[in-house]
Amino acid sequence: MGEVLLKAEGLGKTYGTVVKTVALSGVDFELHGGEFASVIGQSGSGKSTLLNLIGLLDTPSEGRVVLNGHDTAVAGRTQRAALRNDFLGFVFQFHYLLPEFTVLENVVMPGRIAGASAAELRPRAEETLALLGLEGLEKKNANDLSGGQKQRVAIARALLNRPALVLADEPTGNLDTVNTKAVYKLFRQINEQLGTAFIIVTHDRGVAQQTDRILEIQDGRLQQDVRNAYVEQQL
Amino acid sequence: MLSLSIAARFLRKSPVQSILIAAGIAVGIGVQVFLGSLIIGLQESLVDQTIGSSSQVTVQAKQQGASVDYTAQVKDTIASQSQITTQVPVRQFSAILRQGSDTVPLQLTGGELAQLDTIYDISGKTVAGTAALSGSDIVLGQDLADKYGLKPGQTITLVQPDGKTLDEQISALVDFGSAQANLSLGFTSAAVAKQVLGYTDQQYSEIQTQVSNVFDSVQVADGLQAEPAMQDLKVTEWQAENADLLQALQSQSTSSYTIQFFVLVAVALGIASTLAISAVQKTRQIGILKAMGMRDRQTGRIFLWQAAILGLVGSGVGVALGVALITLFSLSGASFSFSPKPSFTVISFVVGVLVALASSLIPSRRTTKLDPIEVIQGG
Repeated sequence: MGEVLLKAEGLGKTYGTVVKTVALSGVDFELHGGEFASVIGQSGSGKSTLLNLIGLLDTPSEGRVVLNGHDTAVAGRTQRAALRNDFLGFVFQFHYLLPEFTVLENVVMPGRIAGASAAELRPRAEETLALLGLEGLEKKNANDLSGGQKQRVAIARALLNRPALVLADEPTGNLDTVNTKAVYKLFRQINEQLGTAFIIVTHDRGVAQQTDRILEIQDGRLQQDVRNAYVEQQL
Repeated sequence: MLSLSIAARFLRKSPVQSILIAAGIAVGIGVQVFLGSLIIGLQESLVDQTIGSSSQVTVQAKQQGASVDYTAQVKDTIASQSQITTQVPVRQFSAILRQGSDTVPLQLTGGELAQLDTIYDISGKTVAGTAALSGSDIVLGQDLADKYGLKPGQTITLVQPDGKTLDEQISALVDFGSAQANLSLGFTSAAVAKQVLGYTDQQYSEIQTQVSNVFDSVQVADGLQAEPAMQDLKVTEWQAENADLLQALQSQSTSSYTIQFFVLVAVALGIASTLAISAVQKTRQIGILKAMGMRDRQTGRIFLWQAAILGLVGSGVGVALGVALITLFSLSGASFSFSPKPSFTVISFVVGVLVALASSLIPSRRTTKLDPIEVIQGG
């Protein structure tokens, strides 16, 4: 197991000022480099809120997130953007591909945001697309792909900067069973090949059981943090 | 330059929208160039007609009717004013032309033809005969000649204020551009005028000049008056004597600026609203770019770049459109023709780009403030 990659300390989120809704409260956990974890919970339990907080997409009302040694509570918007670009990859239920760009252009986007040129990034992007079985689709427009292909392109994009952690929020919510299986198989493969840590948010206990660690959220609190037998054997 | 390439791609992928905004800018700037050039052209023509062929800054004696000593010092002082393009010493007198029972008062100016040409363009405006001002030559207006059947080569007798007569031979007839001038103005040789006025070689009625920019005449006159050589002389300029014309020009400019201002406001509102719609349409894309780590400022710049591209293309086409309109106007056989003013065209182009950029500030700020979570949560 790697170094501590992510630390959530007393993490909470309350919405509203007059009528307050507590979406998440007092969540503490640590995640090490290379871990393959899932967050489960019912709809509205706060699991997506947790993912958004640790993904620095949202700011906590209480507590803090330490990402790779950086205390994000004191980071400004620009620094948080840079941390997202450097350390994180996102896969959402919806692919969020940019319809104006080709598959290759979409995939190199995180690298271009980091300041590299499209030409420099091309070999790595092609390698990543190949890893996801998307060879030959580079020049296609993102809109011309099937649902499963789009989601795989979104995964390729999330992996381009070789992030230490990929956050996936219901990544197979829009996919059929075959594609769902393929995506999780891919996640596991990437986790093993590249050492990328994963946190996968899902409401599907079956999916969660394929991961090494399950964080269960209930009514905005971390109810359980268990490691699967498979992992424990490894430890 | 990622912002620029994203901006260009957004524009390319919404061609109808992009063309419509650029066309809006083009029409606005085209109207600007046409209208601005028309007004400037009209004013230049009006100014040229009114004071183009007359003295713009004049050096006279302080005492009304007295002569000016045109010394080398006076000449050099006037010549040293960089804005003064020509100086012509003239001797002016009046005389009466008797034709049958008619007596026609004439305002005569004596001087060297080559010098007078620099202000009055006598040679250029000659319609009959050959302009010459030596010996007893006289140049008269064509209306006067038409009225009394005068022809070049003919000798006329003028009566001076003191009753003496003066025989002059018509060398040429000219069209001064105004019926009044054509009936009452005339030019004689400097020597004849000197003799009539009883002046010495150095004495003149006044020194007439023209300046490179007619509207700078006040400064030029003030500068000249301050020179030591001008202490005993009086420097006057055309604007002091043409307040009505100036006011008319100013009113014309004000109304033109007002129209141009509102054209620009309409263009700005058009661009701003379309870019705002575009910013809303692209919210999802901007949100995901931010989630991937694109900085607020970088995303804001996408809309600035879009505006810059639209502004450059729209203004460029607008300038071409304006020039085309001007050419069409000139070819249409209108009595008044004018040409595109390069400086005004450049200004219109720059203003078009700046207005486009300014119009992008609201969508750009909106984009800058967008939180990726707004998009991600909204699905």
